[in-house]
Amino acid sequence: MLAASVLADSAVEHYRGSFKNKAMLTPLIVAGLTLAMSLHGTADRRPMAHQARDASYLSAAVTGLLGTGFHIYNVTKKVGGLSWQNVFYGAPLGAPMAILLSGLLGFCSERVRANGGRRRHRVFNLPAGETVATVTALGLLGTSGEAGLLHFRGAFHNPLMALPVTLPPIGAGLLAGAVVNGGARPRGLARWWMRLLVGMGFAGVGFHAYGVSRNMGGWRNWSQNILNGPPLPAPPSFAGLALAGLAALELMREARNA
Amino acid sequence: MSDDGRHSPRARDGRAPDVFRPGGWVSMKEYSDHEAVDFVIVGTGAGGATLACKLAEYGFSVVALDAGPYFRPLEDFASDESEQTKLYWTDDRIVDGDNPLQLGSNNSGKAVGGSTVHFAMVSLRFRPEWFKARTKLGYGADWPIDWREMWAYYTEVEQALKISGPVNYPWGPPRPRYPYRAHPLNAAARALARGCEALGIGWTETPLATLSAPRGLAHPCVYRGFCVTGCSTNAKQSALVTWIPRALSAGAEIRDLAMVGRIETDANGLAVGVHYHRQDKWRFQRARNVVVAGYAIETPRLLLNSATDKFPSGLANSSGLVGKNLMAQANQAVWGEMDEEVRSYKGPPSLAITEHWNYEDDGKDFFGGYAYMSQGPLPQLWANTQATAHGLWGARLVQEMKRYNHVVGLKIVGEMLPQENNRVTLADERDQYGLRIPRVTYSWCDNDRRLIDHSIAFMSRALSAIHAKNIWVQEDDTCHLNGTARMGDRPDSSVVNADCRSWDIPNLWICDGSVFPTVGGANPSLTIQAIACRTADRIRALSRLGEVNLN
Ligand SMILES: Cc1cc2nc3c(=O)[nH]c(=O)nc-3n(C[C@H](O)[C@H](O)[C@H](O)COP(=O)(O)OP(=O)(O)OC[C@H]3O[C@@H](n4cnc5c(N)ncnc54)[C@H](O)[C@@H]3O)c2cc1C
Ligand code: SF4
Repeated sequence: MLAASVLADSAVEHYRGSFKNKAMLTPLIVAGLTLAMSLHGTADRRPMAHQARDASYLSAAVTGLLGTGFHIYNVTKKVGGLSWQNVFYGAPLGAPMAILLSGLLGFCSERVRANGGRRRHRVFNLPAGETVATVTALGLLGTSGEAGLLHFRGAFHNPLMALPVTLPPIGAGLLAGAVVNGGARPRGLARWWMRLLVGMGFAGVGFHAYGVSRNMGGWRNWSQNILNGPPLPAPPSFAGLALAGLAALELMREARNA
Repeated sequence: MSDDGRHSPRARDGRAPDVFRPGGWVSMKEYSDHEAVDFVIVGTGAGGATLACKLAEYGFSVVALDAGPYFRPLEDFASDESEQTKLYWTDDRIVDGDNPLQLGSNNSGKAVGGSTVHFAMVSLRFRPEWFKARTKLGYGADWPIDWREMWAYYTEVEQALKISGPVNYPWGPPRPRYPYRAHPLNAAARALARGCEALGIGWTETPLATLSAPRGLAHPCVYRGFCVTGCSTNAKQSALVTWIPRALSAGAEIRDLAMVGRIETDANGLAVGVHYHRQDKWRFQRARNVVVAGYAIETPRLLLNSATDKFPSGLANSSGLVGKNLMAQANQAVWGEMDEEVRSYKGPPSLAITEHWNYEDDGKDFFGGYAYMSQGPLPQLWANTQATAHGLWGARLVQEMKRYNHVVGLKIVGEMLPQENNRVTLADERDQYGLRIPRVTYSWCDNDRRLIDHSIAFMSRALSAIHAKNIWVQEDDTCHLNGTARMGDRPDSSVVNADCRSWDIPNLWICDGSVFPTVGGANPSLTIQAIACRTADRIRALSRLGEVNLN
């Protein structure tokens, strides 16, 4: 899901930038691959890790890191350097991180799969549930930061724009809490909160669609306003992360019950 | 568009155009001519509309008249420079002096909303010291208002217009965060920024009265750059789409296509109403107070045209200063060409600014200051500029226009000093209403020239520093007009007091750019609106003390 959101978002944004640099195609290919691989993984019933899938997940992670580097370079080389103007309107600093995340999460899920029916899943010798929960929590914080930056650019003109900068950090806190407690305490609230975030992610598309309609010409002028208005594909990345969070909580529960 | 509001009034029969909905209407309170209203306001621009809104919100009965049409921006505005000349005040006027002003597109407006309907939206605060220019900086005249008070009113206007500006403003005392974020810079703005960085001075995103995010039914800016010919998206926060709708919903009446020819005074020397021309006949609106807000030429013209036996030299003119101390602002430009495409016309024309020479006094051989901004001339204006400045025509002009996409330019808004000889008087000729037309006399002084020379030299260096080629100077241009009814502390050296109230006629007020004692190097509209907000507050306070004529 995260991969799908990244694919669509970077497609729209890099299309808007007319793919001025050939490297701007990379995230599309990689996110596309990640998406294809995870679909493949879902369809594939064999309980083992798949090398091709691993390779693509890891390449996603690398793309994310490199992309962040490129975007930082793009921002700092503009006149004004690291200023609000360039952080608002230059290449988004946080966006490539989402590819990194989708890669990492994919990689984790492969490890879980490889462990087969065993109860204590491990990734790099760390407990799987905790690892996924930590990655997800960091992802929620980062994505929330990105939304915060862009919503600040939009001057929080609608009070609902405060939701993605308040709810996800709380979710991240709850996940972190679950990790610290080793899942000892009831994780009901965390689970409930993850579901809330899934809902928020989808509702966000609706709000962004409303945002698009408020541009000159509204939806009749969709070909311009989809580019101008708030990005439709962005909010579901919260839903993707929250689903990963739910899975992590589940893994932790299984591990404890084992 | 067959009827775009220019031929018959739209605001009547209890309704006025809804500027946010095509074909829509909003309800409007109406007063009869015989009913004396608390305030009749002449002009609905930056000064008049703001005051009308605030006074109506404070519960006073208000009728505001404008000689211009009530446009519907979503429907009436074409992306066509010629068509949009309908927004300018082009009635007959005579200009003279050593540097006669070119009146029209760059310094007038005739519409509900006034000049703000097609202004360039640059929304700057004055430098605090300018309010005490005489005492603190040694030139011009002091304002009778303290800058700290103005600072609060600036904030009110910035919020009301949802100004989009930089997160931190580099000059002057701290100001609250602008309500909306700055717009993305276009290539012309980045050129200004690179020039400033090369010369080691500060620059920033220009605070603009156009939306960078939605606001109610107004759309955010689409960066097509037709701002100075009107804005067809309502992103521009002109008086027409901000103060006027608020004024209507607070119960004010707006009358479009209503030209005021004369203010009537009685034997006691009080104003009793205004004679105005609407729908082919002269009418008379009774009022307990009259406010003149017709811009720096029409305001003194109306006061002078309203002379009586009791006031033979015109109303509010015991000081003899009505019409005097007219101040334009210098508007010189330096242009060049870049190798790469700039397409400077994309987006609002002045996205980046430096106020360095407004705040820095070292290294100046002149009084006053100037700001300079990036430019984005529309094609027809650019062709005209080439034709007048370089005498290009025919094939050579076409040739030059092929390089239009590479043009980059910097332009100042520069302070000119008040001089009594720069003035508005009445000519003997009469206009279509039978009213004597204004004669506008203007000559630069040595200080004005030194400021202009300094700015041209500096901007030329800025363009050279970014490797612009074929750099040339546009020497003769002016913009915004102010002065002609200055405010002050004393009846013998000013026309109105700090409350914009005439010293001579206590129920006659003047509330527009005419009241400026000095102009500074900043575009004036934010200051005009701040003064109007202050005036409304003062009128409310004075009325509570029983000091405003309300019977
Ligand atoms: C092209 C252009 C760009 C500009 N750009 C900027 C900018 O970027 N930033 C900035 O701060 N300022 C800018 N200005 C200046 C700004 O618009 C004016 O300073 C401001 O609007 C003046 O306010 P005002 O109330 O004095 O007059 P106006 O806003 O001009 O309003 C006067 C109104 O009074 C009406 N009127 C006059 N006489 C009569 C009468 N006798 N009877 C009835 N109605 C009458 C007129 O029709 C007009 O509508 C610009 C101006 C122009 C023309
Ligand atoms: S560039 Fe923006 S403010 Fe200017 S006319 Fe277009 S929408 Fe209006």
